[in-house]
Amino acid sequence: MFLHIFKYELLSSLRVKDLIIWLMIFPIALGTFFKIAFGNVYARNTEFSAIPAAVVGAENDPAFRNVCDSVSEGDEALLKVTYTDEKTALEMLERGDVEGIFYAGDEVMLTVAGSGLGQTILKSFADRYSVSAAIIKDALMNDPASAPAVIAAISEDVSSCREIPLTEGNTDNMVQYFYNLIAMVAMYGAVTGLHVSAGNQANMSPLGARRSCAPARKSVSIAASFLGSCIIQGLCMVLCVSFVAFALGVDFGSRLPLVYAAALLGGCMGVSIGFFVGALNMPESAKTGVVMSFSMLMCFFSGLMVGNMKALISAKAPWLNMINPAAVVSDSIYCLNIYSDYRRFIVKMISMVIITLVFVALGLILTRRKKYASL
Amino acid sequence: MQVFNAFLKVLKKRSLSAMIYIAVFLGIAIPMASSSNATEAMKLTSLDICVFDEDGTDASRELISLLAENNKIVTLENDRDVMTDALYYEWIDYALIIDKGYAEKLAAGETNDLFRSYHMHDSYSVVYVTNLLSEYTSTVKAFMTSGNSFSDALSKTADALSTDTEVTMKSFSSGGGLKDIVGFYYRYLPYILVSVILGTLCPVIVTMNSRDLRFRTSCSSIRSASYTMQLFLGSAIFVFAVLALFTVVGIVLNGGINGDMLLAVANSIIFSLVVTALTVFVSGFEIGPNIQALITQIASLGMSFLCGVFVPQSMLGGGVLAAARFLPMYWYTVLNDMLMGDTRFDAGKAALCLAVEAAFAVMLVVLTVLVRRQSSGKNAPRQKKAEPAAA
Repeated sequence: MFLHIFKYELLSSLRVKDLIIWLMIFPIALGTFFKIAFGNVYARNTEFSAIPAAVVGAENDPAFRNVCDSVSEGDEALLKVTYTDEKTALEMLERGDVEGIFYAGDEVMLTVAGSGLGQTILKSFADRYSVSAAIIKDALMNDPASAPAVIAAISEDVSSCREIPLTEGNTDNMVQYFYNLIAMVAMYGAVTGLHVSAGNQANMSPLGARRSCAPARKSVSIAASFLGSCIIQGLCMVLCVSFVAFALGVDFGSRLPLVYAAALLGGCMGVSIGFFVGALNMPESAKTGVVMSFSMLMCFFSGLMVGNMKALISAKAPWLNMINPAAVVSDSIYCLNIYSDYRRFIVKMISMVIITLVFVALGLILTRRKKYASL
Repeated sequence: MQVFNAFLKVLKKRSLSAMIYIAVFLGIAIPMASSSNATEAMKLTSLDICVFDEDGTDASRELISLLAENNKIVTLENDRDVMTDALYYEWIDYALIIDKGYAEKLAAGETNDLFRSYHMHDSYSVVYVTNLLSEYTSTVKAFMTSGNSFSDALSKTADALSTDTEVTMKSFSSGGGLKDIVGFYYRYLPYILVSVILGTLCPVIVTMNSRDLRFRTSCSSIRSASYTMQLFLGSAIFVFAVLALFTVVGIVLNGGINGDMLLAVANSIIFSLVVTALTVFVSGFEIGPNIQALITQIASLGMSFLCGVFVPQSMLGGGVLAAARFLPMYWYTVLNDMLMGDTRFDAGKAALCLAVEAAFAVMLVVLTVLVRRQSSGKNAPRQKKAEPAAA
């Protein structure tokens, strides 16, 4: 009987249009939109590249030109300098080809068209040049003997700060939107889970009524339905992760098989939530509403809609990130990508198992030993 | 007005999702708009820097106070996991450790390996702070080389680094008359217009056009033109009500009406016409509720991501923008960006944006008429062929 129910659970689930639309087509569409929108944001906004700047009047100030040339060379160049006249420089600034214009002369001046870190770095560069020039000038005037040493000190290539690398994973933080997309699909597993309860309770569906009359134990029937739903949900999770990883080319780090494992467990967790909600005594449409609202709310708190939401929650209510199922799924994938050890990943996986067991237990308590006077 | 009344009844049943969208949008957009005073004036970017002072000397404290002049010093636990999360999610921009022996080494003229920093991104913030630290240490060394004591060198360096280069802020925009909050509000409005109008009207029109209802109406004495007119009236009232609500809120946020506000309102009106035309076009196909919801989500989210509503157009790639030109929301956003002052205002370009949007509406109406004509031709009952005359 187990195999019979299991087989038909699989077949009937595959014919549910909701499942195909919301667990397969919609995540693929949303993932594609994320890729289009966020694909360039990290490279353009966060990763440093030489700042384009125009220099006007460099022919009258060879010292400034030399400094500009020196910081524009090599792989780690600070600036990408264009020497030009004022009219062209202003046109370049208007078009956004340069972030600022340096006016060389007795005092270096800067013209910008906006505010940002690029402009701040340009100003910092101009400040540094002015300070260095003033110190050298002062040394030449007051103590010419020490001037060469001062010039050497100020022009020295300093490496005062040593970096401690924190991760070897993908540091693009826009990828978190894809983690949350996978979490969303896992949470949508609750829609699949609703069918487990509805199909096993006589007062909720004709199928439930028929199964209640059948010579099969309820525990066997529920176990077969639950397993069938988990497998269908697992297929959706595998499809989603594969699409994001291979079709969209999102870098999950070097432990992709474990990303699949986290997604599969997340899918089972979603099904268990649906199983519990489905067992509640309320109309079918209300259950769908509760499941969808709960899923979207949890996804909102884990950062699906607003990227820095998790940071906000972490500061105001860190406990929420520990029990929010969507945040647990996305965190588990984040931990795999960023941390070299498995400590936090295992904690997240255990959290998912606990949440799943709690909802399954609650669902079982609500569905067991039901008797119906009439249907 | 039986059809009109029936339309309103169906609309009432379907209006819950529209009300949720509107309430959530106004609930989120207004507070966010109030806090979105975008940075338009040239000012130094303030970074969130976490400093761990393992040296604990006057010199290290002096460095921290120098960093604090233009940045915010954040206190966090010196734990690798905490730092990893903080830097990855950009809760902080930089995490600096002032090593023990910093003051001693600097006083001895050493400038290398005085600090360590937790490193996540090769970001602008990292380049900025790293350069600042190098500048600081080399300046201290230069002052000591020219004969100053260590403490004098520190105070002279602090004075020297307070030097401000003269910065001129050049504005190329002659637009930008919209307040930031209103520009932000109108930026997100097209997403909500598509969600509300397409998501609500489409199921209503599909219900009204359903086979049984249509056949029943066709049997009645009501004329076809009157039926269409009543459906049109019902749809127009719904769209007008939605638009009126958003326009009133926009005007209140702007504190009145000015030229740019009028253009923003005109932009939203024409865009609403496009969405209404799209709704009527989609409703012409007999599609189920799930497909309707999917089309609504894909149209609203897809256009918003592609056309620069959720992410500014300046961040999108050239290929994406080239494709987005074939969508009406792109032209809406181009005009809105001009009104916000993000791009230079050009009256000719503004008129072009409105005209292209209107052209989309006309194109969708023409397509709807063509599709309906074709489908009505297919569905028309076939006439029996005349019996051949008996010989």
